[in-house]
Amino acid sequence: MSSSLDKLLANPRVWRGRDQARQKAGLATGYPDLDRHLPGGGWPPASLTEILTAHYGIGELRLLMPALARLSTASPQHDFTEPGWIAWVAPPFQPYPPALQQCGIDLSRMLIVRPKNASEILWSAEQALSSGTCAAVLLWPETLDDQASRRLQLAAEKGRSWAIAFRPLAARQQNSAAALRLELHPEGTSHSSGQGTRVHILKSRGGRPTVLSSLI
Amino acid sequence: MRRACKPPVMGREAAPTSLAVQQDLPLVGARLAGDNRKSHQQPRLDSSLAAAAALRPQGEFPRLWFCVWLPHLPLDVGARLTRDNGQRPLPSPARRAPTAVVEEQHGIHRILLADADARAAGVMPGQTASAALALLPALELEERSLLREQQALEGLATWLEQFSSFVSIADHNVLLLEIAGSLCLFDGLQALRQKISRGLRELGFTAMPAIAPTPLAATWLARSGRRACIRDETNLVPALRKLSIACLNWPAALCEALTGMGVTTVGDCLRLPREGFTRRFGAEYLLALDRALGHLPDPRNSWRSPERFCADFEMTEEQVDREVLLNICNELLQSHEQFLLARQTGTQRLCFSFFHLKGPATELRLGCAQAERSASHWFELLGIRFEHLVLPEPVIAVRLRSGMAQALQAESGALSFHGKPGEQQRRFSITQLAERLIARIGDQSVQATSMVAEHRPHYAWRSQSLLSDWSSNTLDEPAQYLERPLWMLPEPALLPADSGCPIHQGCRLRFIDGPERLETGWWDEDGISRDYYTAAGQDGRRLWVFRNRNRTSSWYLHGYFG
Repeated sequence: MSSSLDKLLANPRVWRGRDQARQKAGLATGYPDLDRHLPGGGWPPASLTEILTAHYGIGELRLLMPALARLSTASPQHDFTEPGWIAWVAPPFQPYPPALQQCGIDLSRMLIVRPKNASEILWSAEQALSSGTCAAVLLWPETLDDQASRRLQLAAEKGRSWAIAFRPLAARQQNSAAALRLELHPEGTSHSSGQGTRVHILKSRGGRPTVLSSLI
Repeated sequence: MRRACKPPVMGREAAPTSLAVQQDLPLVGARLAGDNRKSHQQPRLDSSLAAAAALRPQGEFPRLWFCVWLPHLPLDVGARLTRDNGQRPLPSPARRAPTAVVEEQHGIHRILLADADARAAGVMPGQTASAALALLPALELEERSLLREQQALEGLATWLEQFSSFVSIADHNVLLLEIAGSLCLFDGLQALRQKISRGLRELGFTAMPAIAPTPLAATWLARSGRRACIRDETNLVPALRKLSIACLNWPAALCEALTGMGVTTVGDCLRLPREGFTRRFGAEYLLALDRALGHLPDPRNSWRSPERFCADFEMTEEQVDREVLLNICNELLQSHEQFLLARQTGTQRLCFSFFHLKGPATELRLGCAQAERSASHWFELLGIRFEHLVLPEPVIAVRLRSGMAQALQAESGALSFHGKPGEQQRRFSITQLAERLIARIGDQSVQATSMVAEHRPHYAWRSQSLLSDWSSNTLDEPAQYLERPLWMLPEPALLPADSGCPIHQGCRLRFIDGPERLETGWWDEDGISRDYYTAAGQDGRRLWVFRNRNRTSSWYLHGYFG
């Protein structure tokens, strides 16, 4: 094979379809519709997922609950020590334990961290991700630039942990190293329309952007 | 009376001259002299040794005493103080200016001790300070500090506790430790001896060690500076015989009198008749000889180090360099680890105080989820906090205090057949993660939650600090109630209403579910009576709102269903 072709293939910007076969099995989301559209059939493990919403409370937690419940109770495959912890870094409100328990989360494996400023949020999340003890780290960063998202992605890979960053819709314009970026929109803005949330897959490493209606 | 080497007894030393002892001694000596040495009219001082060894009660543990004599303690204490940059002691003393320690005697400053450089220039102990300065103008004079010496001695006693369970401060510059019980653990006498000597050297002390079966003999041998090591009691008398009486630290008048009689060594002393020796010089010195030879028990006070660690690092000048301060903290942590190692404990809290010349000290507190003693672990936590510590003034001294000592808890590690070896160690536990987070962002900011069996929404859970004795008491069965919101507001927020219908973000809410009535709490005077509804807002959020039943009919928002 010619050296110029080798050089081209070595370029990190070249994405090869073959890689998709090697995609690790995802973490089932609990929503079969969503699983079908995600490479690996679920949430990408050991990487950063971004969820963009206009407000908090439109269903972003319910979307994650089935997967988090499984993570907090089942012993993870990669480790034989203990089931993983779930860290909440800078949540906007108090995650309400009775509701979490109704969703099947093991409360004894929850860690809530409330850092004082933006840099501490990123630092805490990075520590939690790279420690290898947390199965999932949910974070609500004040800002998350390209470099910070790359750091989180690397920390998630190092600690084999799942990072979920919640961000405002305005962040759509920014670059991000996240493996998966979703946008959530409430379905129908008038009182008459039914309840539901539309999930818009903005970016999916190894997959393709889609819009899914009435998911939750 | 005649048992050799009684086991060391904690408590006060036996009274040196009791009447019974005084009356008894010649009798014992006489009987033994009758047995062994019929040619002598008077019993001699060393007459009973062979019999004493034979008379040891069966099964009694033979003792072995390690004596550390610190002849240059006043000088060593000063030298330790000058290396205030937190580094290890300088490898060669030549780097220091010639130094001497002076002490005030009758209003005149006289040289007490001089280091090698000063001695080479002719500075001798006993000279006046001005004479010494005339000989060597570059000489640095230090005032003797008994307090610092005592602190150093106590520090050393605590440090020595890692080698033996019985350490005793025998004199202002003599430490004794019983090592017969430690030989096995430390791989034999030679290894232990080297370990202690090396440690003392690294700590910056000039020490003369000696080993003997009795504490007093060990002390005398150490003072002779011969680094003697006598394990066997039969070798004790020959070794002691050669000692000059100057090593015994007896009063100068007594030594002079003995020398005047032609008695210059312990051997000469032992040839004297017991009765005459007592009459001339007092029973005290006879008893001392008997104790040294092992004829009499010699109980010693055991040193008990304080329960909590507290150590200072004083500097000769103010310091602003944070790197240097970190080094000092590290050194304090190292000695803290040694302290805890000797007691086989750990601690959960540490407090560093940085003293300034003006103003109150700056404090830095560290916490750990489990009792911990490893200096590197504490140093890592310190590093996280120290970065953000604001020091308003230069620092003149650093103090480290530790919290309550706690027994260390052993952890069972996982036997890993999977993955590479060593991989298991790299992963931290959740407590380590929590410690790191707490060290940087504070104790109250890292929390765990648990459930409480309670129907009122705001009492149904609680958050706990991970550092306290944290127990997860999750209710076994989830309570059977209606769906609860995943997001809870810290306090219910008042919603405006339009003809009885709540308004959120400028739009009337539509009720989806409810009401669910949650009522009473008379037992703690925080009773509620609320009707909760699930409502849909225009922006797609589902809200958990309530109305008080009894009082006003205002609407409140309590959570989002997320």
